[in-house]
Formats: sequence, structure tokens, C-alpha cells
Amino acid sequence: MSKTDLEKLNEAAVSAAKRLGVDDAVALSARGADSMIRFANSSVTVVNRVEEAELTVYLAKDKRRAIASTSNLEGTAVKKFVGDLFSSMKGLPESEYVPLPDTPSKYAPSRLGFDRKLEELDDELPSLAKAAIDSAAAAGGKRSAGVINAGKGTVAILTSAGTRGSDSRTAITLNIRSFADNEASGHGLSCSSSLSGFDPKEAGRRAGEGAKRMKDASEPEAGKYSVLLSPTVASNLVETVAAAASAFSVDAGTSYLAGKLGKKVGSPQFSLTDHGVTEGGLGGRVFDDEGVRTRANKIVEGGDLRGYLHNLTTANKWKTKSTGSAGFVTPHPWNLEIGRGDSSYEEMVREMKRGIILTSNWYTRFKNYRTGEFSTVPRDGAYLVEGGRVVKSLKGMRAGDDLQRMFSAVTMLSREREWIQWWEVDTPTLCPWMLVDGVTITRAYG
Amino acid sequence: MGNEGAKDLAEAAVSKARSAGAAYAEARVQSNWERQFVLKNGESQPSFFAEGYGIGIRVISRGALGFAATNDMRRANIGELAKKAVRLAQASSVVLKEPVALDDSKPARRKWAPPETRKVENADSGWLRKVLLDVEGRIADGKAGVKLPGRLLYLGAELEERYYVNSDGARVEGRLPRIGFFGSLTAVEGGDTAQRFIQQGETGGLEVVKRVRLVERVEEDARAMGKVLRTAAKPPADTLDVVLSPELSGIAAHESVGHPQEADRVLGREGAQAGESYLKADSLGRKIGSAEANVSDDPNLPHSNGFVPVDDEGVETKKRFLIKDGVINEFLQNRTTAREFGLRSNGASRSVSFNREPIIRMSNTFVEPGDYTTEELIREVKHGVFFKTFTEWNIDDKRLNQRYVALEAYLIDRGELKGLVKSPVLEITTPKLWGSVKARSKHMEFESATCGKGDPMQGAPVWTGGPETLLAGIKLGSR
Repeated sequence: MSKTDLEKLNEAAVSAAKRLGVDDAVALSARGADSMIRFANSSVTVVNRVEEAELTVYLAKDKRRAIASTSNLEGTAVKKFVGDLFSSMKGLPESEYVPLPDTPSKYAPSRLGFDRKLEELDDELPSLAKAAIDSAAAAGGKRSAGVINAGKGTVAILTSAGTRGSDSRTAITLNIRSFADNEASGHGLSCSSSLSGFDPKEAGRRAGEGAKRMKDASEPEAGKYSVLLSPTVASNLVETVAAAASAFSVDAGTSYLAGKLGKKVGSPQFSLTDHGVTEGGLGGRVFDDEGVRTRANKIVEGGDLRGYLHNLTTANKWKTKSTGSAGFVTPHPWNLEIGRGDSSYEEMVREMKRGIILTSNWYTRFKNYRTGEFSTVPRDGAYLVEGGRVVKSLKGMRAGDDLQRMFSAVTMLSREREWIQWWEVDTPTLCPWMLVDGVTITRAYG
Repeated sequence: MGNEGAKDLAEAAVSKARSAGAAYAEARVQSNWERQFVLKNGESQPSFFAEGYGIGIRVISRGALGFAATNDMRRANIGELAKKAVRLAQASSVVLKEPVALDDSKPARRKWAPPETRKVENADSGWLRKVLLDVEGRIADGKAGVKLPGRLLYLGAELEERYYVNSDGARVEGRLPRIGFFGSLTAVEGGDTAQRFIQQGETGGLEVVKRVRLVERVEEDARAMGKVLRTAAKPPADTLDVVLSPELSGIAAHESVGHPQEADRVLGREGAQAGESYLKADSLGRKIGSAEANVSDDPNLPHSNGFVPVDDEGVETKKRFLIKDGVINEFLQNRTTAREFGLRSNGASRSVSFNREPIIRMSNTFVEPGDYTTEELIREVKHGVFFKTFTEWNIDDKRLNQRYVALEAYLIDRGELKGLVKSPVLEITTPKLWGSVKARSKHMEFESATCGKGDPMQGAPVWTGGPETLLAGIKLGSR
């Protein structure tokens, strides 16, 4: 299916909607081609190729709104689909409605975050996987499990007011874990929007080296520690901050940032920005689902909460302007960036009197999103630091905190940052190492 | 799926893959239809519906597994994709050390569908909204005895239809209707807040809403939140007994028994994502719990959220006895892992969409019932805490160290339930938890849940459940 086909789909959908007399219509068509290779025990387990296209349509009529998506794009199916969606609106009540922009915009694709070399990479994935596995083995990993994803996604938009455009992103990511004796494991990631920025050997080396260092790990004493979060761990937690910054979350009672606009929500070192598109960003596009131009939105600056993420509906409720973050229902981030610090990783370790370095985590769950209380489970490399030196490896623990306290206790950030996107981090995030004071570490009682 | 064209396409895909060099091939044409409605603090959000339709093709060639999927259903395109799946599988042999092979499970040939009184396709936006307004009417404006300034209510109706064919002779046609509710309630009282996430759902049609007592149960949960905020006291810190409700028994069974007993995890296949397992291939027969520890997974429970009579490898499913009298008895197997264990698949292979590879999944995982009444079980406890509902929970990726934070929990004193206690924390290893089981009630309940696994992620509908389960000699933490 070609680029032209996406535009034809949109034309067919919006034309059908206009004929039905809608007040507003948006057609968003998307096409993706993704390739994947997975491996475990240093052997390929499956190769995966998915080629899909989808059409999403938003309609508004007399303050009634409906959204639908379909993957049935053949022949006259689109016209019927739009007709069915329109018919389904007849019994609906009025809902919060804000008209779409009536001045048409035209969006040219951004070239940021796009590399033609990633469009068809199927045949090279096995050799890239082998490079990662071999590198991990050379660094001390006895066996490795992982996945490489590579692909391209294109989204085209057309609104009833005539806003139109399309944009494409490419991305390649590797997530590798290596295992050694005594269930020791290490983790490595490489995430890039271009093939030249992809480094499977370095990710494999980190995973293998991490596994080697974890061989004699023991459980820590429960208590409060300074914790040095890797970009992988910090990104996982920052993503929950960005979710809390969605105005929909604030309204729904699931945000610890409610009532804190302009107030301190982090230490002066902590700044968080969301970009529609940005150099090296693995996600996002130049327009949002409502046809509003995306932009850089400062969520937290110097520890102060600068703003929520809005679509047209939430912006109207909050008497502000859309931030280009739609979701028709829920505003959301595209590419997150945490401001860099001025320290090296080594300087941060030397600052720790008694602390723990965490390189990976999973299963972050909240007791209460309104208060931000959560816990998360570290995995792979974890190390106890005493007097500025790593003294041993750790396992079998859990880190718990609340987001307000935690980000207010950020004391240092590294200059070095990495793009992170993997199984535990959906939103691509450019993230430094982050040193946080006073994090609660627990372990099982029995 | 009543569509002969779809069946022809599936047959053609298998034929094309075989002629391209696949030793084995399967194809699944699947449609997913869903309608959703959301109320946020009583306000209607835009209605939503989605329809997906496509084909997933899986092949084995030169010992390697390949999967390809598309929603471009032109016959020529599907043929090309089948050939591509074979070519990519063959090309991956440079990193193939452990060739894939299948067991000799008998291929199923049949249609299946759960009972459905009022067809799920009748769930239009008006019906979905009315149900949510009924819920809203019980809990808004302090009607449940507590202020709930945050109320996010979601109701969805789904229908999955699939036609599955493989080169071993399986031909399976399935229809799977389902109704699912999710609610996020935020209560405020005296400057303190509590939050409850409620999920309810079953296979079936519109009758599900009444069968699960949806409206009544959300109201009961809301009332309990108010009581927790008003009266809960600090939980005891000494060693005591813990009674897990069906909700807690179910989540513990799912997280610390079901997941580590997925054979793909045991063999390392999910190592980079959901992790491996504390159990190894030779752990069958290992004693892990007391004689009272009995946990099963059953895909054939009537109305269940994880109802799967034939799996996505064309194998008839059956009940799996995961832990029997405290002993690791059985793993969840698909056709490839079963072959490695020298067994036959027990039908645990599931896929949530045409564009997802089938992988080993739980269905309905539960602690088996005992012979106590609930009252008799509580009377067994001199000093303890009853965990009725939970909020935060997590577990490490080997499934050895888990944590459950209670929302509604009661002190038990000399065999009687007393006042509420605030946020007791059960943070415990898997052997300690199942080794502490002293007794079980015969009162069974199930909760619906969505189990996440795989890469790309697949959220599979499941039930978790069980009776009240008594754990002896436990140390609790607090939040």
C-alpha cells in the first residue's frame, strides 16, 4: 500500500463524512511494516514480520462525538464504515465538544527521526542479533535472550476543514539480557531512529558484563538508600510522571500532579520536556490526532510544574490552548527528554556514601496514582556502593516511594544521556543517569 | 467465522508456505470487533468502536520458526507473505542452535463458542452508556457513603472470531464474545485518599452484566473505600496468620504459580521480556508448598474470562493441575515446549489478534477449594489479618519475591473479624507463601484480569480466583 493510498483512504473517509453533514471529521490513516527477531539461550526463537494499515475516523455532529478504527480498507468498506459510525451517534448524548481548527494547515513530513535504511531490514536482523549475542558472550554472559525490532510507520491526516499532511518515523531497538552462573543476569539496550546510531555490540557487551558482575549477588538490608538510577530505570519512572501530566489523568483523579501547576514537583535539577518530533526521537509526528501542530512542551522546568498536556477538549476545560498532544480522548506525550546534568557517572558514584546502583527494573505498580505511591522491582545489575565505591552485587529487593518525594530528592544528573524505548518504556525517552536520595528498599519477609 | 472466503485464504496460505519449503505451516484468519463507552466523572466521552481483520501465518522451515501477518487480504499478497515467512525463517539459521519441532498432538477439527443469551453484537453505545449510568447512579454524589471525585468507568463489548488451519490437519472455527468492565475510583475523606481499580468480565453476551452483579459490586467497593478512609488503623507488626480472600488467592495463584509454570519461561524463551522462572525443566515433582497448596488452570470453566476450548495451535485444551498437594505437578505447554519435555501439549497456546504469534498463556488460574466454610476458616485464626482486596502488587521476573498491598483488610481476633487495618503489605517469597497454606474454604470466587506477556505485548483475558486461603505464621509490613 503506497503513501498515495493513505491519502486516498483519508479522502474517501472525509468525503463520506461531509456528505452525511457532520460538523467535524478527522481521518487518520496509518501504515506500518515491522520486522523482529527474537532469541533465547543464544539461539533464534522466532522471526516476525507484520505489515498493517489502519484507518481511524473521528466525527462530531451536534456536540455528539464518536471515534472508530478499522483495518478493513478494501473497496467500498470505508464508505460503509463511516456510515455505520455516523449512524451509531444518533443515540448518543452531547459530550464535551470543541470545534476543530477551521483554518486548514498543511504539514510536510519532518526528516527528524527517519532513516531510509531501516525501511527493509529483514535480511540483516539475524547478523545483527548474532553480533549482540557474540559480544555478550565475549564479555562474560553464558547465554543471552533478546529481541531486535526494526520498522517504519507512516501516519497521514485529513480533516473536514482541509488540514492535511503525513509524517513517517523509523526506529530500531535491541533489548538483550545475558545470564551467567547462579542466575546472575545483565541488561543492555540500544535504541535509535537510524541504523548508524544502532550499536548491538555495545548493548551485548553491557549485558554480558552485567551478568558476569552479578554472579555473587546477595540481598541488601531493608532501609533508605541513595539510589543511582540508570537511564533505563529513570525512563520507566519518568514515563509515569508524563502520564500524570495528561490533563485527562488530572480530571480522572489519577494524577499526583493535580492542583500543582506552578508548584514544586521536583528538585531544581529536574526538568522534563515532551517533543512532537526531535533529533534522534524514535516516536512522534508533526501533527497530533486533531490536526494541531505538535511542539516542545515543558512539563517540569527546574522542578516547577509548568503545564499539563492538552488536546482541544481538555484545553477548553482548563481555559488554555491545546499543546498538540491529542489523542482524541486522552492527551499523551510523544518523545520525552529529561534535562542533562553536569556530572559523569563516575562522579555520581563517588558522591554516594551508602547507596545502590540500579540498571534495570520492571513491574512498576501504584498503590494510588492520586498520591503517586508506587513500588518497582529491580532486576539484572544492581550494586551496593559504600564510600563512593562499588562493594558488592545485590538481588532480591524492591524499591518504593512516591513520585513527588522521589523527583524532589534528585540530587545529580549525568551529562551523558541515552534514548530508551523497550518492553517497560513505551514512550521514547532521552534520559541521563539520576541520583536520588532516601529511596525505600524492601525485601521479602520470608 | 461463516466466511468461506476467509477459510480459502487460510488454506491457501498454508499451501503456499508448504510449497515454499515449510516443513509445517498454520494460518489463522481472525476478526476482532469491539465497542467501548467511557464515563469520566459522569461525563460521556466519545463513543468508540474498532474492527480488525487479518491473517497470521506461522511456519517452521529448516528448524526455525517464522511468523508473518497482514490485514491486506488480497490473495496474491497473502501468498507473498507466506513465502516471506518461510524465507525469513530460513535466513535466521545463522543464529539457530536449538531447532524447533512440534509434538504429535491430535489436531482438533471442530467449531466452538461459549453460551450467549443476548448476542454481544447488540451492545450499542446506548446500552453500554446505560449500564455505566446505572453504576454512576449508585456511587456519584456520595451515594455510596464516600466522596468519589475521581470516577473513570469503562465498559466494552468484544467479539473475536477465528478460523485456524494447520498442515497437520487441524481445522478450528471459534467465536468468543466477551463483556468487560474497568473502573478507577478515587475516594477522598478528611484529606486522605484511597484508590480502587475494579475489573469485571466474562465470556458471553449482554447477560454478563447481571450475572457478575456489576452495579452492586462497584457500589460495595465504593462503600468499603469510605470505611477504610474513616476507620482503618495501623496493622499489627508481629507474626500472625493471614487469610487471603478469593481475590488475593487468585492474584497469588496467577503471579507466583501460573507464570513460573509456563514452560516457555522455564526454558528461557521469555528471558528478555517477562523473564524466566525460578523453576527449571527438572523441577516437576519438586515440593514447593504444604499439602494444602493446590493450584490449577482450567480453560474450560463456563462463562470464564479465559475460556479457550481449543487453543491457537489446534489442540483441545484441558485442565492443568499446576501444584498438587504442594508438589509441582504440571507446566503450561504448547506443542514445541511439550516436545522438549517429551510430553503432549495441554493446549496453552493463545494469541489475542491475527498479528500476534501464539504463545503460552494462562486461562483461568485458581487455588482449588478446600472443605471449610468461610466462617470456620476465620474461626481457626487467633491473631491475624484478612486481606479482602488489594491495590499495588508486583513480583520479580523469576516469580520468587512478590508483594501485595491490601486496600480493604480486617484484623482477626480470636476467630472474629474486627476493625479495618490500613494498607498491610504481604511481601513474601513463593516457597514461603505456598509453604504456609494451612487451610482453604469451599467458597469460590473469580475476578477478571488482563495478563500481559509477549513481545509485541499481548494482553490476554483471564480469570484469577480461589477460595479463602489461610496462611500460618506470616510477618507483614505496612505502607
